[in-house]
Amino acid sequence: MADWRGSLMSAVVYRDPKAALKFLEAAFGFELFMLIEDDKGNLAHSEMRLGDSALMVGYEWSDEYKSPASLGGKVTQSIHIQIDSDVDAHCARARAAGMEILMEPADQFYGARTYRCRDPEGHIWTVAQDVKAVTREEAEAASGLKITGWV
Amino acid sequence: MSRPAVTPCVFYRDPIAAMKWLEAAFGFETAVLITDPQGNVAYSEMNFLGSQISVGGEWTGPQLGGAAMKSPASLGGVGTQFLRIAMPKGLDAHCAQARAAGARITEEPSDQFYGDRTYRAVDPEGHVWNFSQTVRVVSGEEAHLAAGLTVHTALDEV
Repeated sequence: MADWRGSLMSAVVYRDPKAALKFLEAAFGFELFMLIEDDKGNLAHSEMRLGDSALMVGYEWSDEYKSPASLGGKVTQSIHIQIDSDVDAHCARARAAGMEILMEPADQFYGARTYRCRDPEGHIWTVAQDVKAVTREEAEAASGLKITGWV
Repeated sequence: MSRPAVTPCVFYRDPIAAMKWLEAAFGFETAVLITDPQGNVAYSEMNFLGSQISVGGEWTGPQLGGAAMKSPASLGGVGTQFLRIAMPKGLDAHCAQARAAGARITEEPSDQFYGDRTYRAVDPEGHVWNFSQTVRVVSGEEAHLAAGLTVHTALDEV
């Protein structure tokens, strides 16, 4: 295993995974580093890299794995992307590539600036940049929520 | 711990029960839990061996543009993502712990042609978890010969 890679990898299911590889590169800057195909040119396995994380892009292997496009827009997991700078520019690039922006970049009570978007097959992504240090007490007061384990 | 570039949020009908189960079965630790006045999960972070996930409840609303966050338990066992976690050691014991906690083991620990030993577990709400431990280094050429698959490292070659 490459030493840049964290221990967890999300596998994301698409009807057209090769189109997804190109889209995720254009929208978010994921870089393809492994693509395995069968002798008919169908995708068997692929991995993309973003910073310290790998993402697996796959197809609808079986009845248990479906794209949101096959489920009326329902998802069983979403994906969070953490960036260091300029979430607004990140959002502009994603929009230009064809991401549907569900929530424009906005400051959150917990100190992040985030936006939420949906890719062409319906997977939901949130992108966040930390913009302000917030204490647990401040976050509880601002939100009315009970917080355990905030450091 | 600094946050990895990519983390999944995993949706459950009963996220608190799921968090307790993920601790018992897989060894995740709860780092952050934020609840609303009714005790519902607003946000959570769990860690295991440097992996980070969030666990959330099902929800929908106008801010999702017609989409909905659902547990596989609400979709007949179907999922739109699954998880892979690499472990440095202890794969077989990890599988035994998961099984004892009630995981459905859909693939027993076994060595793969690409050099990993892996097992697959399904949690009580139907999310699929793959655990792997590298036991042998296999070159791309070797994998090609073993499986008849072609390994690319860039889209340009395709």
